[in-house]
Amino acid sequence: MKEVSIKLLKETANSLMFDMSEEEYALLKGEFDTIQKQMSLISNLKGLDEVSPMTFPYDVEFTYLREDTPKEVESPEDALKNAKDVIENQIRIPKVIK
Amino acid sequence: MKDYIHLTIEELHQAYLNNEVTPLEVVTQVLDEAEKDTNNAYEYICKERALEQAKNLKEEDKGNILWGIPYVLKDNYSTKDIPTCASSNILEGYVPIYSSEVFDKLEKAGAILIGKTTLDELAMGGTGTSGHLGKTFNPYDPTHERMIGGSSCGSAATVSSGYIPFSIGSDTGDSVRKPASYSGLVGFKPTWGRISRYGLFPFAPSLDHVGYFTRSVKDAASLLNILAVYDEKDATTSSKEVKDYTKGLDGNLKGYKIAVIDEILNSITDKTVIEEFNKTLKILEKEGAVLSHVSMDIDLVKAIYPTYVIISCCEATSNDANLDGLKFGLREDGKTYEEIMTNTRTKGFSTLIKRRFVIGGYSLLKENQQELFLRAQKARHLIVDAFNKIYEEYDLIYLPAAPSIAPKFSDASDTLSDEYLISDNYLAFANFGGYPSLTLPIGFEAGMPLGGNISGRIFEEDKVLNASLAIEKNLPYYNLYAKKETK
Amino acid sequence: MEFEEVIGLEIHIEMKTKTKMFSSSPARYGDMPNTNTSVYDLAFPGTMPTVNKEAVVKGIQVCNALHMSIDPLLRFDRKNYFYSDLPKGYQITQYFYPLGKDGYLEINTSTGKKRINIERLHMEEDTAKQLHAYDCTLIDYNRCGTPLIEIVSKPDLRSGDQAMSYIETIRSIVSFLDVSDGKMEEGSLRCDINVSVREKGSPAFGTKVEIKNLNSIANVGKALDYEFKRQVELLEKGEPILQETRRFDEAKRETIPMRSKTDSVDYKYYPEPNIVPIRLSQDFIKEAIDSSNELASSKYERYTANGLSDYDASVILSDPETSRYYDKIVSYGVSYKLAANWVNGDIQSVLNKDNLSISEFKLTPKQIADIIKLIDCGKINNKQAREIFATLIDNPSLSIDTLAAKYNEGMISSNDELTKIVNEVLDENSQSIADYKSGHDNALRYLMGQVMKKTQGKVNPKDANEVLLNELNRR
Repeated sequence: MKEVSIKLLKETANSLMFDMSEEEYALLKGEFDTIQKQMSLISNLKGLDEVSPMTFPYDVEFTYLREDTPKEVESPEDALKNAKDVIENQIRIPKVIK
Repeated sequence: MKDYIHLTIEELHQAYLNNEVTPLEVVTQVLDEAEKDTNNAYEYICKERALEQAKNLKEEDKGNILWGIPYVLKDNYSTKDIPTCASSNILEGYVPIYSSEVFDKLEKAGAILIGKTTLDELAMGGTGTSGHLGKTFNPYDPTHERMIGGSSCGSAATVSSGYIPFSIGSDTGDSVRKPASYSGLVGFKPTWGRISRYGLFPFAPSLDHVGYFTRSVKDAASLLNILAVYDEKDATTSSKEVKDYTKGLDGNLKGYKIAVIDEILNSITDKTVIEEFNKTLKILEKEGAVLSHVSMDIDLVKAIYPTYVIISCCEATSNDANLDGLKFGLREDGKTYEEIMTNTRTKGFSTLIKRRFVIGGYSLLKENQQELFLRAQKARHLIVDAFNKIYEEYDLIYLPAAPSIAPKFSDASDTLSDEYLISDNYLAFANFGGYPSLTLPIGFEAGMPLGGNISGRIFEEDKVLNASLAIEKNLPYYNLYAKKETK
Repeated sequence: MEFEEVIGLEIHIEMKTKTKMFSSSPARYGDMPNTNTSVYDLAFPGTMPTVNKEAVVKGIQVCNALHMSIDPLLRFDRKNYFYSDLPKGYQITQYFYPLGKDGYLEINTSTGKKRINIERLHMEEDTAKQLHAYDCTLIDYNRCGTPLIEIVSKPDLRSGDQAMSYIETIRSIVSFLDVSDGKMEEGSLRCDINVSVREKGSPAFGTKVEIKNLNSIANVGKALDYEFKRQVELLEKGEPILQETRRFDEAKRETIPMRSKTDSVDYKYYPEPNIVPIRLSQDFIKEAIDSSNELASSKYERYTANGLSDYDASVILSDPETSRYYDKIVSYGVSYKLAANWVNGDIQSVLNKDNLSISEFKLTPKQIADIIKLIDCGKINNKQAREIFATLIDNPSLSIDTLAAKYNEGMISSNDELTKIVNEVLDENSQSIADYKSGHDNALRYLMGQVMKKTQGKVNPKDANEVLLNELNRR
């Protein structure tokens, strides 16, 4: 498995829209070493590549689809009352340059 | 006057039916106790609301088992008009405009919400220390040196303090069942898809379960009768028939086959835990169950924890991507929307959460998915297959819920380390496979409770509850709570 | 050296449903900002998605029209990225298992029909709408969660003209199916282009450039023509083509770099854990397909088979609403040709005059059919029909029968009386009877003229003709 660098961790953090301190990155790097060690243990599990990745706890299929009938709608006041910067019933942010 | 605030749901319900006491009298006392809480269990106490509700209960609804019963909710359940922050600064000031299905059902049943309880930030963590209000303490340890465990720390602390008969938590790895072990409670998470998660703040939806704490097995069954539902708002709830879980609950285990997994049991070094556990094995046999020791590939058991870390962190990164400062909660300034998001998230999340997010984000990158996320999902498949194989032959799996009594804060850390104990992390298997799983008190060591855990096949909550009742009725731990004199 | 352009298109289409893809708030345009949102649309913590049945039905209908194989197991995935118009921080889409796969479409090109292969069709949810003001951006979540389908073609298109024809065909399909308005100008149909240039005949592909921000079919053509020229010039100069995303600048009529490949986002796709796979039964899929509206191509066959000219059929089919209106008229049993004359003639003039669309037209297809029937049975003539039509336009609630009765005042309505007059004419024109019997059609016309003359036109020509023939044959 490839080496995880602080730079890479920083990029990953930034792509998730936050930053951390140098100490935090160092701590995280240590955790990654642990994870990689444990994951290489997993890669040796018998039969690992014969099974499919599992998303749901058990095999299940449903058939329910929601009817196309409008039901829930919030008033703009309710919808936006938790937002910090609202003008004319819209959330305001700095101009987005496309 | 008789003490009405340390009763189980069933007992208090009976007292109401007998007109011995009114909900208002009970709720007033409970609120009193809540305000005196010293365990850092509350994010918010809904005093006015609770009193109002207690006054307005209708006599004709009295027949409902939850009528007038006080309870608390983990602060990661959406409650309309009641602040909900999941113990995270990033949700500072957030007041939801809609209610979770669980809250709705409890409200309709006449239960009275006393408050919202602390958790590990956004339910990510197992120590009850990472919430924005700091550590939550174990009521059994008045010196406040021992944890109660997490992430449902506040919900465990209130019920084990004795003045609240039940509380709602959530369980993604063991977040109800581990704290239950540390605080002498019944902690139950039914099958994935049995109770609606609508309105539960997601941590890792494929592992998230609604769970709850009670002080009796019967109460756990009664609550499931109220909460089990097919909910069209949660596209993962099952339309399987909801049983009457209190019916046939008698502790008679004739015909039950129960497995003990040696690899997990043998990893426990604490003699008291083993002794107390062995005593309960005798109880199960006495009540008619056939017990067997079974073996499992130790590498699979060891794989549970790293598999859990990768899958839960991956799912968490996107579940919490909505916390960006624009629509609700904390908002920091910035010259661009990117800066607002980055500044908000940098300030709003604690270091632990951020590290978990990076682990998840990294594991989902195209170039790493195969080796990390997908490999973990495959390991999950192997692990679930192995447990399902045991369930082909056995109705239940029974093991100690934790390798020890509640650890001291000074001995615990949330940093990932290689020195993990199998028995400290195996409970997540029931999240991997969605199995119903219940922890209950089975003994004490140094004045601290310790628990056993029974897990069954999916949608066989009835068997899990019945075996638990068999243990409960043979031990003196029914309606167990940290007695005032021990505080 | 001769070069060719290799083009693939990704088309996003907003579906016309009553509610959103994953929530039950209304999916409607033009309303006041943030009046059509649900807690899910705003990504409040704990909300969960539920799949819109009608969106699935419409998706299946488009898959069927594009000859795709339909996956009966509906699965969704998360596409993760941060943007101010994406409240959840991810979009639910179908990355791993699209609803439809491996289809095709026939388009008209300058050299005849060409088959364009289609790789996939998947369903997803739209983002919020951003209003870019002078010094800030305002977010309106009404559009957020609107059902979308994305149709991804294979790189089978070879010119701007072909690309335009492809989009036009897709537009026609989705609008005739009534799946979408399909209006590029209004954003209900959006198109991203992947384009490269290579030496003609070469099996290899050149460096791929992506073009975004196209708001009309014409601009797609212009952008591709410009891009072809640009890339050929670079190749001829021996300069490299950068793998990048460009946008079309309408004013300059050229493409401009937006971002390079190195800035591209890793979307960290993974299966949506909040939607258990949904099994679509064969009955459900069949019912969706069977309830599809008729496509333009099929209608064209039907129209021309019923006597319409290519021109008339094409005019009616230029717009799905017009063809729906037209189909209603003919459903009352009137002739295709007469109905087409009215729709393409008098009705169109009225609409043009007031700049209206057919959906705003005041008269119902039934009213038009009734007028046509009156002409057909000879109760009124064309001129009178136009007068009735004009009266109705001003007052649509008037009774057509009452209006027509006016023209029938004093008409000979008794069959006996008519037979008497016809026999009088025949008695006076024995030579014409002989001519008719020996096969001279002119004689019949002459006799008919005499009948009309004798009745001073106060007779229904159709009835008169019938009686005349009857009486002739009896002699």
